[in-house]
Amino acid sequence: MLMKKRYILNYDDNQYGAVVAQDGAETMVQVDDGDMTPVNFRPVLNGKAISIRFGGRLHLIHLTNAGGNGSVQATIGGRPVSLTVMDELRAQALESLGDTVGSGTICADIPGLVVQIKVSKGQIVHKGEPVIVVEAMKMQNELLAAISGTVAEVPVSEGDSVNPGDPLVIIEPEPGV
Amino acid sequence: MATRKTGRKFDKVLVANRGEIAVRIIQGLREMGLGTVAVYSEVDRTALHVLMADEAVFIGPSPAAESYLVGDKILAAARETGAGAIHPGYGFLSENGPFSRQVEEAGLVFIGPTAESMEVMGDKLASRRKMRSSGVTVVPGTDEAVTDPEVAIGIAEGIGYPVLLKASAGGGGKGMRIVRKSGDMASALRQTMGEAGSAFGNDAIFVEKYIENPKHIEVQVLGDGQGNAIHLFERECSVQRRHQKVIEESPSPSLTPELREKICAAAVQTAAAIDYRGAGTVEFILAPNGEFYFLEMNTRLQVEHPVTEMVTGTDLVHAMVKIALGEGICYRQEDLRQQGWALEFRLYAEDPSRNFAPSIGRIESMTIPQGPGVRLDLGVYEGFDVPIHYDPMLAKLIVWGEDREQAIARSRRVLGEFTLHGPVHNLPFHQWALEQPAFIDGSYTTHFVEDEFDPADWLPELDAGQAEALVAATALFEALRRSGQATEEKNVDCAAGNWRRNALRSMTGNK
Repeated sequence: MLMKKRYILNYDDNQYGAVVAQDGAETMVQVDDGDMTPVNFRPVLNGKAISIRFGGRLHLIHLTNAGGNGSVQATIGGRPVSLTVMDELRAQALESLGDTVGSGTICADIPGLVVQIKVSKGQIVHKGEPVIVVEAMKMQNELLAAISGTVAEVPVSEGDSVNPGDPLVIIEPEPGV
Repeated sequence: MATRKTGRKFDKVLVANRGEIAVRIIQGLREMGLGTVAVYSEVDRTALHVLMADEAVFIGPSPAAESYLVGDKILAAARETGAGAIHPGYGFLSENGPFSRQVEEAGLVFIGPTAESMEVMGDKLASRRKMRSSGVTVVPGTDEAVTDPEVAIGIAEGIGYPVLLKASAGGGGKGMRIVRKSGDMASALRQTMGEAGSAFGNDAIFVEKYIENPKHIEVQVLGDGQGNAIHLFERECSVQRRHQKVIEESPSPSLTPELREKICAAAVQTAAAIDYRGAGTVEFILAPNGEFYFLEMNTRLQVEHPVTEMVTGTDLVHAMVKIALGEGICYRQEDLRQQGWALEFRLYAEDPSRNFAPSIGRIESMTIPQGPGVRLDLGVYEGFDVPIHYDPMLAKLIVWGEDREQAIARSRRVLGEFTLHGPVHNLPFHQWALEQPAFIDGSYTTHFVEDEFDPADWLPELDAGQAEALVAATALFEALRRSGQATEEKNVDCAAGNWRRNALRSMTGNK
């Protein structure tokens, strides 16, 4: 039985396409425009790493899911890499929404405590302006507006505990701001 | 392990700390045949130091202010377990005079200096006055608090700009401001006093000369509390981010033998002047012209003590405990030598690309480097969740070589073998630092990270082979996850079962 899945991967500023195909016991992978080739790999460390032979080298790549949205943390050769991986359908759906959607939403990236909210609903903010302060591990981290626009919603209050992925401030892009 | 009665002043020690330093102290105590008691907060129930100790006592909720910083709870834990002494480690209660006094008043031994030593050295103005009167050179400036901009301008003109405004009660880089001309003085003074008042509850400010391009040199000392002190040479700690050290080394590449002798003598003089008891560190600023100035004394065991242990072949935890037992200083100055070179890399759960912001999460997997010249002081293990409540230091990697060149080459090898997967961490930062010309030739100053480090462009690029392998592996990982194969593996909770399954798979050649 032939199973074929196509994925879009992003890390740093690079985007790759990859196809994974399974034909009986054999697994094949195609990266970008390369050839579809049988791949020699094995899941190890209770499924938290993949040992893969590529270009004559044997790599041990540690992998974990970091929350939803297809974000994956990997470590290769001691270097940590954050990736997103999504199947082709999801990639196309996101693309059709346009790339400004979502970027106005400032989310917590580590668990912490909201110590100060610097903006309120309806306020106009500019890209780079500090909007909220979250304390984690004895450090106060100022989060900045990623885009200019109007504050549409602040779904948290000062004193709230937040978890990674929780939206903190939602900014609606506004032409001309 | 039952504590043996040995007729010593104490047979069991409570370690009032957590993480790698609690582990390191427990190791030292066990080697000396002493019983060990750990304390732990809610979130630290399964922490490494707790698992290692003979006994462990729960001391409250996760925030340090409700557990590790509560002296009464620590004392109650000591009473409950019959510990005769308390080792505070670093941070938390280690430099808290009232706590040290409370311990001694309870009839227990505090493994560290007296409250008086801590109080003199904890107040920057008091320590400046004390050192000046003992003949140790301090940075030119005032010994009295300043509140009037006109007075501050007068002082600054006397010693020459630039000057540094500093909170007397400050520390950790907070409450400091550089002033380069008279016009900036009034607003800078007002801001620094405001900061100091809110951060330390004390708005006393003093003015001192700002030394451009300084190096941070410190000297390890041991005192017997009777006015006798020795030194164990210097450490250089100029690689700092956010005014916190990340790489330390001993010896310092910046000292000539003459300068080393002078600076070490000044440190011994400092310790002797306050009848210092136990292990301490005297910190100096070294100016580019070779002048050095007393900065402060840290009245505790330092994070970076292992580099000293590696080059002098000593054990500072043993030495501290022997002093506390009343056996005096266990080394003679004339027997101490610096042999070879040691570098220490602090492993933090933090993201160098995002201004070194702390990170947390589970240590998913870890490959520990070994081989010649390697020491790892570790506070975590695979599967441990790095908590949000404390300092994000996970471990210290210490590498020894016959000389600096070999120590650097070996460090590159060792860092390349260290894989830690889970929270974002700074191992790649250390690899970056080891390739910088200013680090390699030893000319780096405390501005090294600020000047050389570009958060947007420092991570080594993956080579083409690695990038392809990464993409292929991630796609496979996702495909496996979606088909439920990886999940199936996770359901097997017996490690031996997995090992057998993996072994069988490799024997049958099953991919």
